[in-house]
Amino acid sequence: MVETLLEMALLELAEKLLFTIANGVVWALITALVALGLSFIFGLMGIVNVAHGELYTLGAVLTWYSLTRLGSFWLGIALAPLAVGALGSVLERFAIRPVEGRPAYTVIVTVGIAFVIQQAVLATFGGWPQVMPDPMPIVVHFAGVRYPAYRIFVAAVSVLALMGLWSFLHKTSLGLSIRAAMQDRDMASAMGIPVSSIYVITFSLGAALAALGGALAAPIVQLHYLMGLDILCLAFIVVIIGGLGSLKGTFVTSLIICPLENVLSLFITPTEARVVSFVVMATVLLLRPRGLFGTIVR
Amino acid sequence: MEATTKLTTLAALPLMLLLLVMGVALPADLRSLTIDIMIFSIYAMAFDLLFGISNQLSIGQAMFFGVGAYGVLLPALRMGVGLWAAMLMALTLCLTLALVLGPLAVRLSEAYFVIITIIFGMIFYFLAMSWTWLTGGSDGLTFEVPPITLGFISYSVYDPIANYYFTLTFFIIVYFILKRIMDSPLGMILVSIRESEERTKFLGYDVVRYKLTAYVISAIFTGLSGALYAIRCRYASAEYFSIFISVEPIIWTLIGGAGTLVGPIVGVALLTPIAYYISALWKHYLIIVGLIMVLIFRFSPKGIMGYIVSKIRRW
Repeated sequence: MVETLLEMALLELAEKLLFTIANGVVWALITALVALGLSFIFGLMGIVNVAHGELYTLGAVLTWYSLTRLGSFWLGIALAPLAVGALGSVLERFAIRPVEGRPAYTVIVTVGIAFVIQQAVLATFGGWPQVMPDPMPIVVHFAGVRYPAYRIFVAAVSVLALMGLWSFLHKTSLGLSIRAAMQDRDMASAMGIPVSSIYVITFSLGAALAALGGALAAPIVQLHYLMGLDILCLAFIVVIIGGLGSLKGTFVTSLIICPLENVLSLFITPTEARVVSFVVMATVLLLRPRGLFGTIVR
Repeated sequence: MEATTKLTTLAALPLMLLLLVMGVALPADLRSLTIDIMIFSIYAMAFDLLFGISNQLSIGQAMFFGVGAYGVLLPALRMGVGLWAAMLMALTLCLTLALVLGPLAVRLSEAYFVIITIIFGMIFYFLAMSWTWLTGGSDGLTFEVPPITLGFISYSVYDPIANYYFTLTFFIIVYFILKRIMDSPLGMILVSIRESEERTKFLGYDVVRYKLTAYVISAIFTGLSGALYAIRCRYASAEYFSIFISVEPIIWTLIGGAGTLVGPIVGVALLTPIAYYISALWKHYLIIVGLIMVLIFRFSPKGIMGYIVSKIRRW
C-alpha cells in the first residue's frame, strides 16, 4: 500500500516535471524568436535594441486587438508581425540610423523608443493585465501526458519561423548580403551591397520576429503594458550567455535556460529562478567574456 | 577642459552663497523642490563620473539608489540604528555591491557593459518587487530616524530648514569631491579611457582598475542620494529600483551636458520642476522623456553646458 502510494506520487511528480519541461521548451522557442532578433540586430549594426521587449508587447497587444475588434485571433498572428516589422523599418531609418555604431547611444535612443511605446500601449490598452481565451481549446494525449494543443502549435510555428530564418540567411542572395554585411560592412559596401537597405530589412525582420513571439505568447501569458520588460531581461541573459551576434549560441542557450528556469520555478519563485539564470550568466562571463559561441568583438 | 574649470570656479562660489541664503529665504514648496534637486543632483553627478567622464553607460544605477535607500531604512526601522550609523551602513552596502558586481561588468566591451547593467538593474527590481517581506514591495515601507545630535545641539532632520541644510551639506561635499577627482590624475586617465581605451592601455595604465574605481565611486554617491531621498521622504519602495530611476540620470546628464559635472546639475534643476508640473497635468509625460531621448543626439549632442563651454572657448 505504502509502495503504491509512493509510486503514484513519483509518477505524478514525473508527469509534472515532464509537463514543466515541455512548457519550458515552448517558452524557449518563443524566447529564441525574440532573442535572435536582438542578437542579429546587434551583430549586424551594433545596435543594442532595448525597445525589443516593447516590440514583443506590441505583437501581443495587436493580436489582442485583432481578437477583440476584428474577431479573429489567427488574423492577429499573421498581421501583428507585418505591422511591427513595418514600424521597425521606420524606427531604424529615422530614429536609430543617426547614432548607429555607437552602442551606448543606440541604447539611449532605443530606451526612448521603449518609453514611447510603453506609454502609448498604456494609454490605449490600459494598465490592467488581460488574459486571452485559449484559441485552440483541445488537449492532446501523448505518452500518458496531457498537453494543450495550442502550445504544440506555438512550438511548431516557432520552429518553422526559425528554420525559415535560417534558410533565408543561408539560401537566398539577400541573406548572403546580410551575412556579408555582418562580417565586414565596408567591404560589403564596396562590393556593391546596398548596406543601408540591408540594415532597414534586418531591423524590420528582427522586429517582426519579436512581434511574432509576442503574438504567439499572447494566449499563454498575461497581457500587460510592461510585459516586454520580463522577456527583454530573459532575452539579454540568453544573448549574453550565447554570445552577442551568434545565432546558434542564442538558440542553444534559450533551449537550456528556459526549461531550467521553469523546472526551478517548481521549487522557488520565478524571480529567484531568474536569479539562478543570472548567476549562470555571470559564471559564463567570468570564464568566457564573449559568451559560449561569441566571436564578434565590439 | 580649462574653459570648464574656469567657468565652474567662477560660477560655483556665488551659487553656493545663493544656495545658503535660499534655505531661509525660499517659501516652503520651492524649498522642498530645491531639496529634491540637490538630492537628484548628487545622483546625476555620480552618473556623470561614470558616463560623461569614463564613458561607461550603466542603465542599472537604480540598483545603488534603491540599496542606498533601503540601506538606511531597514537598519533604522528594524534595528533602531541612528541616522549616521544607518547612512554608514547604506554606503558600505553600496560599496560592497559595487565591488562584487563591478569587476564582472567593467572588463566587458561597451555593449556588453550596457546590457549587463540593465540586467543588474532588472534583477534587483524584480527581487525588490517579489521580496515584499523585506522591501514592502511597491507599497514600500515608512520609517523615521531619531533626531541627530551635533555636539550640544540636537535637531530633527524633518524640520524643513534643517533638512535643507542637511542636504546642502552633502550636495556641496559631493560636488567638491567629484570636482577634485575630475581634476586629478585619476580624472585625466578616465577621460583618456573615454577618448581611447586602446591607447590608454598602451600607455601602461590598468584600464580595468580605473574603470572599476569610477564605477565604485559612482555607486557610493548614487547610494548616498538614495539614502538622502529615503530619509527625506521617510519612505522607500521597490519602485526606487525601477528602470525609470536608472534612466533619469541619462536624461539629466545629456540635457545638461555630459562630462561637465555642472551640466547634470543644470539638467536636474531644469527637468525636475518640469517633470513635477507636467506629470501632474498629463500622466503620459514619459512620452516626452522618450522623445527627448530619441532626438537629443540630433539636436544637442553636447547639452547645455557643452554649448556654453564651446561658446566661451571661441570667445
